[in-house]
Amino acid sequence: MSQPVPVFVTGIGVVCAGANDVGELRRQLAHPVGRFQIPTVFPVKHPSGELPAAQVVLPAGTDKPDLPRTHHLAFLAARQAVAGGPPPDAIVVGTTTGGIATTEAALEAGIVSPEAYRHHGLDTVALHLADAFAVRGPVLTVSTACSSATVALSIATKLLRAGLAKRVLAGGADCLSRLTFHGFRQLQLVAPEGCMPMDANRTGMTVGEGAGFLVLELGSDERPALAVLSGTGLSCDAHHATRPHPEGTGAALAMRRALADAGLEPAAIGYVNLHGTGTPDNDAAEARAVRQVFAEAQPPLSSTKGLTGHALAAAGGIEAVISILALRDGLLPANIGLTTLDETLDLSPLRVPMTAHVSAVLSNSFGFGGNNACVVFEKAPSPIPPAHGVERGRSPAGDAGVPALRIAAAACLTARGGLDETWAALLAGESPVGLVPDTAFAKAAPAAFVRRLRRLPRLMLALAQTVQSANGRTVPPGAIVAGTAWGPLAETQDFLRKLFESGDQFSSPMDFVGSVHNAPAGQIALLLGCQAPNLTCSAGQRSFGQALLCGSLEIASGADSALVVAAEAFEPKLSPLFEPALAASRLLSDGGAAFLLVPDDNAPGARLRWLGEAADGLVLLDRIIENTPYDAVMLAAPAGQEAKLEPIRSRLARTVSPERIVPYPDRLGQHASIAAAATAIAARAVAAGVLPLAAPPVSLARRRLLLVEIGPRSTVFEVFA
Amino acid sequence: MTAQTDPLVAELTRKLVDALGLDLDPETVDPAAPLVGAGLGIDSIDMLELVVLIEKDYGVKIDNRAAGVEAFASLGALAAFIRQRRPASPA
Repeated sequence: MSQPVPVFVTGIGVVCAGANDVGELRRQLAHPVGRFQIPTVFPVKHPSGELPAAQVVLPAGTDKPDLPRTHHLAFLAARQAVAGGPPPDAIVVGTTTGGIATTEAALEAGIVSPEAYRHHGLDTVALHLADAFAVRGPVLTVSTACSSATVALSIATKLLRAGLAKRVLAGGADCLSRLTFHGFRQLQLVAPEGCMPMDANRTGMTVGEGAGFLVLELGSDERPALAVLSGTGLSCDAHHATRPHPEGTGAALAMRRALADAGLEPAAIGYVNLHGTGTPDNDAAEARAVRQVFAEAQPPLSSTKGLTGHALAAAGGIEAVISILALRDGLLPANIGLTTLDETLDLSPLRVPMTAHVSAVLSNSFGFGGNNACVVFEKAPSPIPPAHGVERGRSPAGDAGVPALRIAAAACLTARGGLDETWAALLAGESPVGLVPDTAFAKAAPAAFVRRLRRLPRLMLALAQTVQSANGRTVPPGAIVAGTAWGPLAETQDFLRKLFESGDQFSSPMDFVGSVHNAPAGQIALLLGCQAPNLTCSAGQRSFGQALLCGSLEIASGADSALVVAAEAFEPKLSPLFEPALAASRLLSDGGAAFLLVPDDNAPGARLRWLGEAADGLVLLDRIIENTPYDAVMLAAPAGQEAKLEPIRSRLARTVSPERIVPYPDRLGQHASIAAAATAIAARAVAAGVLPLAAPPVSLARRRLLLVEIGPRSTVFEVFA
Repeated sequence: MTAQTDPLVAELTRKLVDALGLDLDPETVDPAAPLVGAGLGIDSIDMLELVVLIEKDYGVKIDNRAAGVEAFASLGALAAFIRQRRPASPA
């Protein structure tokens, strides 16, 4: 690896229990006051729900009743981070809740208008920020449960290093919701007395909410740097859906990867902000991991969740801000909530705040699915190098960006079955539109492995297993990246239905565990025994495009391969409410596709390259189509929004004849991950030299196809052979 | 006593197989065999699913480790645990 490229933190913002800005958080860390409260943001309907939560208290009159709480919390923290600086040109948000709190109320009230659910998608949080700050470039959403915000920082860093952005707003946001509050309660992970991380008498976590955001850039003349983000590390336990590996091996791997990315030895770290949720299992596993990495030379360390609670996807963002305050002000916070140290942990958390000069800090975030993410911050040089690397921000279609990748294997699932069956149907002029038949994915994994899994994880496992076994590959992929707009809907629906039916007393722990967006990717890691970075992107119709981008960034960062999979699973009640495209289309459909991608080499086969995501599809296309001749363009817009295609069509018509501009969702199926299936068809088409999706089929003399998706933002990628 | 002769054990066995998606015939489950580590492949999430099911269907809480060890020793032990603690049945 070459010398790590430093990324500067030029803005920070935070909202969490006890603090509505960075100054308040700093005062709380120095002199913690107050603890947790029974939540008031939703009704607690049964005595079993009278458990403390870490709720944000907004000043009177500053809440936004028309906006889901996660969106508003995200905005409040992001606004602080961008204040006084130029606007960011890209956003990466980690979130698990999106608009769920609003959805819960609407579902319980029996509202059936899709309008009431327009903010449900996780992506709508990032789109809200993009609107607020006029962001033109990529707007990404990642959902890896409680490590989401730290994973977002990792992706943002890779975007900057790849020259795909100059200034990225990155972090995480989540709000208290009945789904998460009762879900963790049913898992018996919520502490009745409030969390006591690292305590001998700890019994669990305190579910919280909030948001934490950073502005990251390669250099700036506009604002002084607060810190340097010098490394990130991702890993997956591949051990269990919810429990950490008891030896903390995945956590230790993520810490070591972050240190290696930063080019630092463990001894350079002056403070560790622990994940430290207060559950017996997490704290024990994390303590083992810390001891493995730091051996006898433990730096000062603490969990700050005794103050903030566990803000889930926001936790890594809030704790990044705390870590930066430790560097900037020398304030190392106490392990709040700790009374009687658990001596078996063999850790020495700070009992009181400590003042010390430190030059590097490490922050840990771990989540369901065994998703681990760590980040290293270092003290900023003063003055920072002038405009360091700003020229690295190059146009998406220029010579920078992410490299073309070879498709080592592809799979798809449609109403016709797999890729061979779908291709044959298209050649025969038959439609593959519809729901995937159960028989097409029944044999993905042993019955005992999938017994608790519903439709989405089974679809994704089948797709992943197909591409992994295609070349007789025996080693796990170098990264697993999933894309899904809606996540596991059957699990979400059943969890909420049982909760509502019992007056918020009972629901299924199994459904809660299965309902998180990254559960399917975690199952793939389990099945393949893969400890590599494990990401789940969730951005409506752009979910596959973002999964492809993140897979490409992992390969650009050294991974030898990436398994990229995107899929949707139709759910009769929720799918029509969440996805207006489904209601507008004649035939219900679901399914998706998977690709095993490797760095480009001389081997034969199709190539896949992510070219860009932007607010304005025309600007993106202008840069691309003038440089490269394409045989045909595959075009997608959500059903009912085909009018948005017209300006794109007329622009494309300058270089591509009309019969070679092929809208595909009505011919392949209207679901949010249909772009993945279209890409699998495109890969087969460039190899065969014919595109049967066009009517009549067109020949592909140049063997080069452009795929364009139009929606709230536009995504462009290409397939060629 | 076998599953066939104790109706509560038979009922619990059916619920267990159904709730956990176990691929086996309820008739073949030995009521005296340990629930965990006896080849059923049951893990911590399954146990929590059973905890909720038993509180919901029988009004019996299993909310600490000792109670869990006692209740989940076997299906027979679970039936005995429920009989000892269930509120006066309206049936």
